[in-house]
Amino acid sequence: MMKQLFPAQHVMGFLFSLLLSLIALVVVWFDLSFTAGITILIVTALVQAGLQLFLFMHVKENAESKTLYLNILYALFVGLVTIFGTLFAMHWGYMVR
Amino acid sequence: MKIDHTVPMEYSTEENKMKILGFWIFLGAEIALFSTLFAVYFTLQSNTKVGPSATDLFHLSPVMIETILLLTSSFTIGLGIHAMRLGLKKPMMTFFGITLLLGAGFLGVEVYEFVTYISEGATIQTSGFLSALFTLLGTHGLHVTFGLLWGGAIVAQVAKRGFTPETSNKAFIFSLYWHFLDVVWIFIFSFVYLKGLMG
Repeated sequence: MMKQLFPAQHVMGFLFSLLLSLIALVVVWFDLSFTAGITILIVTALVQAGLQLFLFMHVKENAESKTLYLNILYALFVGLVTIFGTLFAMHWGYMVR
Repeated sequence: MKIDHTVPMEYSTEENKMKILGFWIFLGAEIALFSTLFAVYFTLQSNTKVGPSATDLFHLSPVMIETILLLTSSFTIGLGIHAMRLGLKKPMMTFFGITLLLGAGFLGVEVYEFVTYISEGATIQTSGFLSALFTLLGTHGLHVTFGLLWGGAIVAQVAKRGFTPETSNKAFIFSLYWHFLDVVWIFIFSFVYLKGLMG
């Protein structure tokens, strides 16, 4: 019964997600350069998001999974353009002073 | 209504499939919403001439507690959907119940955080950094609050009606919402808190 309710894949995925959060703490515990720190954060956050998407949100098993991938990619494109476009305009010297 | 028994019950009718697809499209819009809030935060995070900076304000332990609570709740709702697919009503309701309790725990810690910030004189009106911070965290917290009400209503429906194409569809869609909030939190945890504590 316990084995039926706690599939190994879910348990492993959960433990892995906790591990990823611990790995991300490295950036606080050690004195890393900004580039090294932000790289670690980007990698651990993206792996975490992928874990949720494929393991828990069952995106693969959906009959329309191609549509879903396209929708997610489009949303990510909009999101990244929003974030980096804003930083480009407000911080990285696009504005003429 | 044609019921397809070869797929899990939440996908079993044409309407159910459309609702799941529609919810994914809604989550796409949510990605756009949170992106705007992250963009504002990244733009204003160094506007701290008045009031504390991220490094002064943030403490690791409450943030770790929030992260563990939300990651665990994402796991338990996954187990809830797994139990639902096995047709096990009681375990499903138990896992959903645990999920909502963990969500309430998360909110409790977040409220405690907000009260601490405000008692240190860091309010939403203090600086650009804090306005952006409270807006981003508050929008996520509001989503979790709404999720508690929504999830509670679904548990009540499953208790009353059992697993039907309708209730299983609602439960599955709610699980998508909950996992999505966990993903948003991972980004807040990484790019607001840990990045802030990096100094």
